[in-house]
Parts: sequence; C-alpha cells; structure tokens
Amino acid sequence: MDTSRLWSLIRFIITAIALLAVWLLFSGSLEPFSLIIGIVGALVIASLTYNEFIAQHDASLRSFLPRPFALAAFSFILVLYLYQSSWFMLLAVLSGRVNPRIVHFRTRLRSDLARMVLSNSITFTPGTITLDLNDDHLTVHWFFCTTSHARAAGDAVKGRMEKHLRKVWL
Amino acid sequence: MTLARELLALLFFASAVIFGIGGIIGLFRFPDPYSRLQAGSLCGTTAIFSIFIGALLLSTSLAVAARVVVIMIFFLVSAPTGSHIVARFAWNSGLQPWKPPLSRRSGYTDRQDEP
Repeated sequence: MDTSRLWSLIRFIITAIALLAVWLLFSGSLEPFSLIIGIVGALVIASLTYNEFIAQHDASLRSFLPRPFALAAFSFILVLYLYQSSWFMLLAVLSGRVNPRIVHFRTRLRSDLARMVLSNSITFTPGTITLDLNDDHLTVHWFFCTTSHARAAGDAVKGRMEKHLRKVWL
Repeated sequence: MTLARELLALLFFASAVIFGIGGIIGLFRFPDPYSRLQAGSLCGTTAIFSIFIGALLLSTSLAVAARVVVIMIFFLVSAPTGSHIVARFAWNSGLQPWKPPLSRRSGYTDRQDEP
C-alpha cells in the first residue's frame, strides 16, 4: 500500500469517527437500531466527504488534530477575551472615541486549520475583523488602531492569541 | 444550590441584555459598514454567548448540557465567519473605512496620512 492510499484511509477513518461521535452526542441512545444507522451513515458520508473534511496536503496529524488540554485552555481563554473586548467595545460605543484603520501583518502558524481558527478568533477578540486571509498574510480592520507598523500591529492584534494557538495546532 | 445557579444565570441573562443593547446602539451610531459590523457582531456574539452560558447553568441533565455546549461551539465558528464574509465583500468592492475627526479618535494617530 503506497503512502497516498494509506493517508486517504487514515483521513477516512478520522472523518468517520468524528461523524459517529456527533451522531452519538445528538441521538443520545445506545440502542442497536440507532447505533447501526449511525455507523452506516457515518461510513457513507465519510466516504463522500473525507477529501473536503481533511485536505490531502495537510501533511501531518499534528496539523489538524488538536492537543485536547491545550484546546480546552484555548477555548476558555477565548471566552474570557470575548467578554473583555466586548466590554471595551461597549465603552467605545457609548463614548464614540475610536480609530478604525486597516492593517496588514503575517502569521507564523503553518497549518490551514490553525490559520482559520486564528482569523476567526481575532474577528472578535480585540475589536478587529479579518477582511482577507491569503496564505500567511492577513488583512484586518482594526477598530482601536494604535499603530500602522506591520510588526507592531501584528503583535498587538494577534500576539497573545497566536501564542496560545501554537500549543494547540502546528 | 439551585438558588445560586438561578442567580448566576440571571446575572448572565442581564449581561446579555446590556451587551445586546450596546450592539444595537453601535449599529445605528457609526456611519460605515465596517464599524457597524464591529459593534453589531462583537456585542451580538457576546450577548448570545451569555444566554447560552445561562442556559448551560440552568440545564437539568448532562445530555442537555452537552447539546448546549455543541451549539456554543457551532456558534463560535459560524458567527465570526458570517461577519467576515460581509466585511470581505465590502473590502473587495473597494470600500474605504470611515475615519472619525481627529478630536474624536482614540490612541495614537499618524498625522502624515491626513489630507
């Protein structure tokens, strides 16, 4: 069995397990009938969609399988940051003192999934919206801009987020 | 125990109302699409998230709590993606962001790019 076939098989198995886990969570029963329907459905859907779920160029398991404890810590930190930045946004809405500007910077994260999660999480954390993500280059609308220097803006917007994300994915 | 849970849930529901009203005010106060998206999406996300946390505190069994957690995860993925799509369309159609007058700005400003 050559490498690309083996990699397809591994991706297929991971997709089927993920689908089955979601099925078990939502059906909430272990009766034989429901279990058989879940397994058959997971296998059929996984055979159709494993290529979309995990792209072929994701070269290692580390690039899409998170470390569970780091992921739990990251989501907790994300919710804390969500409340903090929402509080600042509330103050800015009431006072009207803002400085919107568009900044560009690069990220050091390497896998597609980690970059997607980074751009999604900076869409809410310090009052920013990701406008474009092109390989490792992000275009961001920053609501409380303090600088237009690329490196300094990158540190201010994504520095702490990226530090936590690098522990979760590659 | 039940009383403490209900009080905590009430606190989260109250914060949801406050953040929701803040988001609506921001939506009508700022003049351009990017700023409106910022206020609306961020405060709206926090408001809905507070309601989910309150529901999680009030949930009666572990199965219900697990489903609420799954909905929270889906929401955490879909809400920023939606606002990103709108902002990306505005950016690709060439819309420039609004700049408030100098006296109303926060933080440091680059004077050289003023007209």
